[in-house]
Amino acid sequence: MKTTTFIATVVLAISSLAVAAEPILEWRFDGKAQPGAWLGTFGTLDDGPRPPRYPGFGTDNRAMSVTGHEAALVVKDHERGGFTNVRFGKGDTFGFETWVRFRTIGKGQVAYLVGKGRHVKHGEDFPENNQNYSVRFLGSDSGAQFGILFTSEHPETKERAWHRWWSDSSVPTTGWHHVALQFTFGKANSLQAWIDGRPTEGRWDESGATDLPPVQDADDLVIGTGYARTEGSSFNGWLDNLAIYRSGFDANEIAKRYQYVPPPPAVTREMIPPGRVLVQISEKGVPESNGWPAEPQVTEAWVEDVFGFFEVPHKYISTGVRADRANPSHFRASAIVKLPKGKHRLLLRGRGLSRLFIDGKELLENGPRTLDSGGHTPLAVQDDYLDLGPDFRFAPPGNRDAWCEFESTGGEHFVILETMLGNIKGRLKQRPELGETVVAISLEGSENWSLLSPGKRHVAYNDNGWAVFAAERREWLGHVNAAARAKCREANSEYWHRRRTVAADWLTETEPVTVPELSDGYSANNEIDRFIAARIAAVARDSKQSQQSEVDYFKDIRPLLESRCYDCHQGGKAAGGLRIDDHVSVLHGGESEGPAIVPGKADESALIAHVTSKDKDIRMPPKGTPLSAEEIALLKHWINSGAVWPQFDVKDFEPTELADDLAFLRRVTLDTVGVTPTEAEVDAFLKDSAKTRRAAVIDRLLDDDRWADHWMGYWLDVLAENPNIINPTLNNTGPFRWWLYESLIDNKPADLFVTELIRMEGSERFGGPAGFGTASQNDLPMAAKAIIVSSAFLGVEMKCARCHDAPAHVSQQEELLQLAALLKQGTIQLPESSSVPPGRLHQTGRQPLIEVTLKPGAQVKPAWPFERYCDESVADGLAEHPDNSRDRLAALITAPQNERFAQVMVNRIWQRLMGRGLVVNVSDWEKGGASHPDLLRWLGHQFVASGYDIKAVSQLILNSHAYQRATDPRLVESSPLYVSPAPRRLTAEQIVDSAFHATGAPFDLEEVSLDIDSVRETRNALTLGKPRRSWMLASTSNERDRPSLGLPRVTAVASVMRAFGWRGARQDPRSLRDTEPNTLQPAIFANGVMSVWLTRLSDRHGMTQLALEDQPVEALVDRMFLRLLTRRPSPAERDRYVRLLAEGYHTRVIPESERIRPTPGKRERPRYVSWSNHVDGPANTLALQNEAAARRGDPPTNALDNDWRLRMEDALWAILNAPEWIYTP
Amino acid sequence: MKRRHFLKHTAALSSAAFVGGSTFASPTEQPGLPKGKAEHVVFLWLGGGMSQIDTFDPKKRGNSKASPKVAGAEYDTIDTVVPGVKFCEHLHRTAKLADRLTAMRTINHHLIDEHAFGTNFVHTGRLISGSITYPSIGSIIGHVRGAAKPDVPAYMLIGYPNVSRGPGFLGAKGGYVYLVDTESGPSGFSRPEDVTPQRVERRRELLEPLTSRVPKGSVIEQYKAAQAEAMRLAGPEFMRHFRLQDEPDALRNSYGGEFGQRCLLARRLVQAGVRFIEVSHNLNFINGTGWDTHNEGQQNQHLLIKELDVALSALISDLEQKKMLDKTIIVIGTEFGRPAAYDGRGGRGHQGSCFSLLLAGGGLNHQGAYGVTDELSKKIVENPVSVPDFHATIHAALGIDPAHELFDGSRPVPITDRGKPVEVLFA
Repeated sequence: MKTTTFIATVVLAISSLAVAAEPILEWRFDGKAQPGAWLGTFGTLDDGPRPPRYPGFGTDNRAMSVTGHEAALVVKDHERGGFTNVRFGKGDTFGFETWVRFRTIGKGQVAYLVGKGRHVKHGEDFPENNQNYSVRFLGSDSGAQFGILFTSEHPETKERAWHRWWSDSSVPTTGWHHVALQFTFGKANSLQAWIDGRPTEGRWDESGATDLPPVQDADDLVIGTGYARTEGSSFNGWLDNLAIYRSGFDANEIAKRYQYVPPPPAVTREMIPPGRVLVQISEKGVPESNGWPAEPQVTEAWVEDVFGFFEVPHKYISTGVRADRANPSHFRASAIVKLPKGKHRLLLRGRGLSRLFIDGKELLENGPRTLDSGGHTPLAVQDDYLDLGPDFRFAPPGNRDAWCEFESTGGEHFVILETMLGNIKGRLKQRPELGETVVAISLEGSENWSLLSPGKRHVAYNDNGWAVFAAERREWLGHVNAAARAKCREANSEYWHRRRTVAADWLTETEPVTVPELSDGYSANNEIDRFIAARIAAVARDSKQSQQSEVDYFKDIRPLLESRCYDCHQGGKAAGGLRIDDHVSVLHGGESEGPAIVPGKADESALIAHVTSKDKDIRMPPKGTPLSAEEIALLKHWINSGAVWPQFDVKDFEPTELADDLAFLRRVTLDTVGVTPTEAEVDAFLKDSAKTRRAAVIDRLLDDDRWADHWMGYWLDVLAENPNIINPTLNNTGPFRWWLYESLIDNKPADLFVTELIRMEGSERFGGPAGFGTASQNDLPMAAKAIIVSSAFLGVEMKCARCHDAPAHVSQQEELLQLAALLKQGTIQLPESSSVPPGRLHQTGRQPLIEVTLKPGAQVKPAWPFERYCDESVADGLAEHPDNSRDRLAALITAPQNERFAQVMVNRIWQRLMGRGLVVNVSDWEKGGASHPDLLRWLGHQFVASGYDIKAVSQLILNSHAYQRATDPRLVESSPLYVSPAPRRLTAEQIVDSAFHATGAPFDLEEVSLDIDSVRETRNALTLGKPRRSWMLASTSNERDRPSLGLPRVTAVASVMRAFGWRGARQDPRSLRDTEPNTLQPAIFANGVMSVWLTRLSDRHGMTQLALEDQPVEALVDRMFLRLLTRRPSPAERDRYVRLLAEGYHTRVIPESERIRPTPGKRERPRYVSWSNHVDGPANTLALQNEAAARRGDPPTNALDNDWRLRMEDALWAILNAPEWIYTP
Repeated sequence: MKRRHFLKHTAALSSAAFVGGSTFASPTEQPGLPKGKAEHVVFLWLGGGMSQIDTFDPKKRGNSKASPKVAGAEYDTIDTVVPGVKFCEHLHRTAKLADRLTAMRTINHHLIDEHAFGTNFVHTGRLISGSITYPSIGSIIGHVRGAAKPDVPAYMLIGYPNVSRGPGFLGAKGGYVYLVDTESGPSGFSRPEDVTPQRVERRRELLEPLTSRVPKGSVIEQYKAAQAEAMRLAGPEFMRHFRLQDEPDALRNSYGGEFGQRCLLARRLVQAGVRFIEVSHNLNFINGTGWDTHNEGQQNQHLLIKELDVALSALISDLEQKKMLDKTIIVIGTEFGRPAAYDGRGGRGHQGSCFSLLLAGGGLNHQGAYGVTDELSKKIVENPVSVPDFHATIHAALGIDPAHELFDGSRPVPITDRGKPVEVLFA
C-alpha cells in the first residue's frame, strides 16, 4: 500500500493549487509526439475545433479521428514500461477532460473514451474486474450520457464490486463538445462533471457510490476502445485536447473552456421567395446519429406553396437512376407567414424527429420514431390520439404530432420547420420517409385546420383537403423527378451521342435487308406487310405438295417427336449432334450414324432402329416407357410415304380483312396502355377522319404514360424483380420496379436501359437498378443475374448451366460463370451447392445426359462467353469505361455489331403485339429458328436506326396491316405466317386493370407494406406504396401464416391475378406466361371478393354515376356495352338487358330528400395493424375484422332503388363475365 | 340435373387445380422401393417452428425461470401406448394413439434458421436457386395423382396463399383452391352472401347471350367451358362439403376450436375426394406468437399444444372410425424445431439441425417414434431423416416413386432431391 500513501500526499499538495493544475498526461493531437502507442493501425489527424465556431482554438487546429476498434492508443502502466504513473487510489483525485465529436453512437451503446484495467485477454493475465477507472459514453435518445466506471476492492474481504455513474444530461451527438469530470476515490460524494462547461447531475448505480478504494494493478490504459475492443464498445468520432489530471478543476475555469459561437442562421428572410416556402435538404454535415445536426450543409433546395410534405423529390445519379440520400438527411422548410392578430392553434406532425420555430423560438418538437419493432406493441396504445376539431385529420400510422397555442400580434412571422429524413436505430437505419410532415393552423375562432401557408394557396387540412392536395403534389413531383432524370441524361449525353454515331456508322457499313416487292393480291400498310406477304405466297406454293401425303405431320408426327425426342434432340446442343427439331439435321443424321430419316425407307432410318431396339443402351427414348406399337407404326408409315416435313402448320393462306374499327381500337388500346378504351376515347377515335384515325390513335396511345404501366408486368417477369415487403429471403431482389417504371416513362433507349441495369447503380432498397444486383439466400447471386441477362437480351437460356452443362443447350457452366464474373467484377468460385455430385450422375447406370466439367471450388474469371454474337474487342472502343467489366458487358450486349440483341428486343415487342414471336421462344432461341429471318433482321436494323426506341418499333408494327387484321377465332394461336391473328388471352394485369378502369370501381387497396408505421429497419421492411395499377402489387409474404399480417384487399386482387398467371414472388425469370384456361379463373373472377367490389353499385362506383344519368334505358344499355366491351349490344342482348332494366327504370333514382342517410357514428381515428403490433391479440382481432370488411365491400348507394340496383348489378356482373372480356378482339 | 363427369368434360382444358392424374402417374419402375396404398394427405402446418423438446421428443425438465436458466423440456413427460415412447404431458390424448403414428425425431436441415427459408424447404424439399421455382409437396402430389374424385380439386389449402405452398414451375394447373378459415368458404367458389339463388339464375340468363356468341372451336370456347364448370362448382353440390354444421354436434365438439374445425373440414374434403389438404395452425394469438415461441410466447405454449392434441387425436380417431385412416396419411410439418436452451426472456430460438415431424395413419407400419436424439434433442444420435427423405416417405406411402421426374420446360426435375423412404415404416 506504499504507492497509495504516496499519491495521497501528492494530491493533498496539488488540491490547494487547483487553478494551476497541470495534467499528468495530455494529448493535443497537433502532429507532435504524444504519449502512448497505437494499437492496430495509426490514427489519422483531421480538422479539430476551429474558429470561428470555436474561438478558443487556432485556425489550423487539428484533432484525432478515432475508430476505436480499428485503432486505439495504449499507455503502459509505469511498472510495465510506462513513463509515468497513471494509477489512481484511495484519496487520489482523478481529473479528466476532452473535446469530443461523435461520428456515430447507437442508443444503448457504451463507448469507451479511456479505461485503465479490464483488458482481459488483451494484456497480461489480469482478472476482468480490475477497472481502475474508465470514462465512457452511453448512447441515449438525445445524444450520449457521460460517466465513470470503476471496480472497488474491499480492504479486508478483497471483495470486488462495480461502481458506475452516468450523467443525467446528454452530450449532443453533433458538433464539438467539451466534457470534464473529477472524482476523488474514497469519497463517495465527490463526483463533479461538466458538459460544455455546465455542471451536470448524475447518479450512481451497479453497487452505488462508495468510499472504498479502486482496484489498482499494472494493466494498460487504453484510449478509444473498451475491454472487448469490438465496434460496440469503441468510441467512433474525433477527440482533441484530452487530458488526465491528478487534481480537480476550478468550476469557473471549466465554464470558460467551452467557447462556442453559433453559426449564422442557416436560412434568412432574404433567402425566402415572397409568399412561398423554401425547402432545403442537407446531406452534408449530418452525422449518422439520431440527434439534430449542428451545422447541416444544404445540398438541394426548391420551393413549395404550403407546409405540407409527404415525399421529397428523388435523388438521381449517373444517367438518371434513383439513388439514396445520406441517411439521415436534414430537411428544412422556411417561410414568412402573415397571421391575423389572435390566439391561434398550431399543429406539428411528422414521422421523424421534427421541430417548429417561429421567429427564432422553438415552439413544438416531436422526438425520433418510436423504436419497438418486435411486434408486441399493444393495439391499445392507439386509443391515445389527438382530436382537435370536428373535421380534424387524425394522424395516419407512423406519424406523431404535437400542438400548442400561439399568440400573434398580427403580421409577419418567420416560420421554420425542421425534420430528419431517416433515422438511426442502434447501428441500423430506418426508411427515410416524411410520412405526413405538416404544420397546420387553426385560427382563433375557427374549428377547422389548414396547412400553414405563406401565400394565396389555401389547403384545408382535413381528409378530403389532404387527399386533393396530395394527389396534385404527387403529379407535380412526377414532373420534378422526370426533369431531374432528364438533366442527368443530358449530363451524360456526350457518350450516348457517340453511341448513336457508332450505331449510325455501323448501319451505313452494313448491307441493308432488301424489302421484297408486294406480292399480288396482298394488302400492305408498310414494309412489314411486304415481308409477310412474300412469305405467305412462298409457303402457299410449297404446301400444295404436302397436302398429298397421307399422314398429317402436324397432327400425328410432330407431337410424338416433341414429347419423346425433343428433350435431348433439340436445339444447338442436341444429343449426339442430332436435332430432331430440324429437317436438315434429321436428313443428315447425327455424329456417329447415318440419316435419322431416309424418306420413303423406314428400314434404313436410324430413328426407327432406335425406337424399336430391345437393347437398353441403344433404345430411345432412354428413359420412361418405350414407344407403343401404334406410335412406331405411325412413324414408319410417315417415313415410307415420303416423310413430308412442311414448314408451317397452316392450312389457310388467305389473310383476313382489317378488323372493324371498334375491335381494332379495343385491341390497340389494350396492347399499348393495358386497359380498354373509355367512352371518351371511343368518341375521339370515331370523330377522326376514317383514313387517318388508326395512325392517329396509335400515336396518341404511344404517347400516353399508361404505356409504361402496360409494359411493367412484362419486364418484372423477364427480369425477375422479386422484392419482399418483409425480411428478404427467397431469392429476393430490391424493388427495382421504380427504376423500370421511370425507364419506360422516359422511353429510355433499350441500349441505355440495359446498360443501367447491368451497371446496377443507385438505390438497392428504394428502387434503383442496384436492387437488381441483390439475390438473398442465393449461393451465387451473380449467376442468377447472368441467367436473367442472357435470356432477356440475347435469347440464350443458361439456367441449366447453373449446376451442370446442359444436355439441350450449348452454354456450359463455365460460360455462365464467366458471365456472372463479369457482373461480379471479379473471380467467382463455384460453391458445392451449385454443382451436381458425381455419384448422382451415374446412378441410373446409363450414360448421363448431363455433364459436369467444372469441379466445386473452381475459380472462374470474368470473360465474354458470346464471341459468336460480338467480338470481345468491340468493348475496348465502345464501353464508356472499358476497364469496368460491367460496362464492357453492357457494351458487348448492346453494340450494334451484336445484331442478336436488337433482334431479341424487336422479337419481344413483336411477340407481345402479334401473339407469336418471329422466334417463338423469345427467351431461348436455341429451340427453333426464325419464321421470317429477313423481316427479323430488317426490324433489328430499324430498331438500331431509331436509336433503340421501343415505341418506334411498336409504331411500325401497330400500323401494319398484319397487326390490324381481323381475328380468326378458330385459331388457337396466331398464324405463324401472320395470315390472321388468334384471340389472345389478356394478361392478369390487363384483366384486372381493365375491370376497374371500365367500371369505374375504386381500386382502393392497402399500402403494399407490413410496416406502415415505419418502425423496422430499411434492411428488413419495405413499402411498395399504395397501388394505382395491378403491377404494383407483390406477394404479401405471409409465410408466417398470421391473420394479422394479411393484406386482405391486396390478397383479393392478387388471388385473381394469380389465377391468370401473375406471380407475386418471382424467383426466376419468365418471358411467356401460361395462358391456358382453367376452372379457377372464371370462378375467382365471378365470385371472388374483387367481383363484389366491381359489381357493387356504391356511391363511389363509376357505374352508379352512369345509372343516375338522365337517359333512355336503351342508351344506358348501349353505353354499358360500349364502356365494358367496346361494342354495341347485339339486338338479342339489347332486348334482354333493356327488358331487365326497364322495369322500374323511371323510379330508380331516389329523390335526395328520401334517401336514407346512415347516422354517423362517433368520429374516431381508425386503428391499424402493422408489424409493430401484429402479435398482440386485439390487433389480430382487428385484422380479422378488416378482412371481413374487405369481403363485404363498399355499402350500396342509397341513391338507387334497391330492387333496380340489384338488377343493374347483375347486368354488370354478366357483361364483366362475358368470355370475350378475357381475350383481345 | 344430370351430373357431369368433370374430367371427361374438361379433358382438353388442362384444368387448374382440378387437374386429373398426369399420364406419368404410373407406379414406380425401380424394384425394391417401398410402395404404400394411401390415397390422401392431410398436411398440418405448424407455422413458426414447433418445439420438439416440448412436444414429441421430450427430455428432462429445464427451467426458464431459474437464474441462470436451465436448458431442457418445458413440461413433464408421459408414457404413450407404445412401450418406451414418451410424449409431453399436454399430448395425452395423442399418446393413447401413438401406435397409429410415428414421431420422426431426427429430421434435420442445415439452413439459415429463418422462417420463410425453412417454410419453403419443408414444403418443397429443395433449396432455392434463382433459376427455377419448385412446387410444394401439395402441388406435386396433386399433380401426379390428381383428385380422387373428378368433381373436386386435387389440392386444397386452409390457410394463406404463399409461394412456398404454390405450384412453382407446374404453373396454375398445379395450384390450390384455398380458404382462410372454415367460415368464409373456398375463395372463388363461395358466392357473395347477397347473391341469392334468384340472382344466380338471373345472372345466368343475362350471361347466356354473351356466351352464346363465343365462336365454336375457339380458345374462348375453352374458357367458356371452364366457366360453366366453375358455375357448377359454386353450386350446392361442391359447396356441401364445407357445411360443417351437417356433422353431429358431439363430433364437432370433439375436434375443439377453429383449428379442430379445420381438421374436421379436412376429413370431409378427404371424403369428397380431395387428394392433398394443407391445414394451417395459424392461431397465433392464443399464446401471442404461435409456434414461434421466442420470449414470452413460450409461457403459453401449452395452450397451443393442447389445441393440437385435441384436434390431432380427434382426426385420427374419426378417420379410423370411418375406416379411412389407412388411406389417409396425416403429416405434421413445421419449418424447424427449437433448442433446449432458453433465450434471455425465457423463450426459445430456432433449431433446424434436429427437430421432429410426424406421420400418422396412411397404412404405415407405425413405430410411435423413429430416430434417436441426444439428452437435449440437440444432436442426432441414430437414424437421421432428411427433409427429402421425409418427402420420399410420404410419396412412397401414396405409391409414388420419389425419383419420379417432372419437367420444367425440357428440364427434368425429380420430385424429391434424392430422397429415400424410411423403410421400417413399410415393413
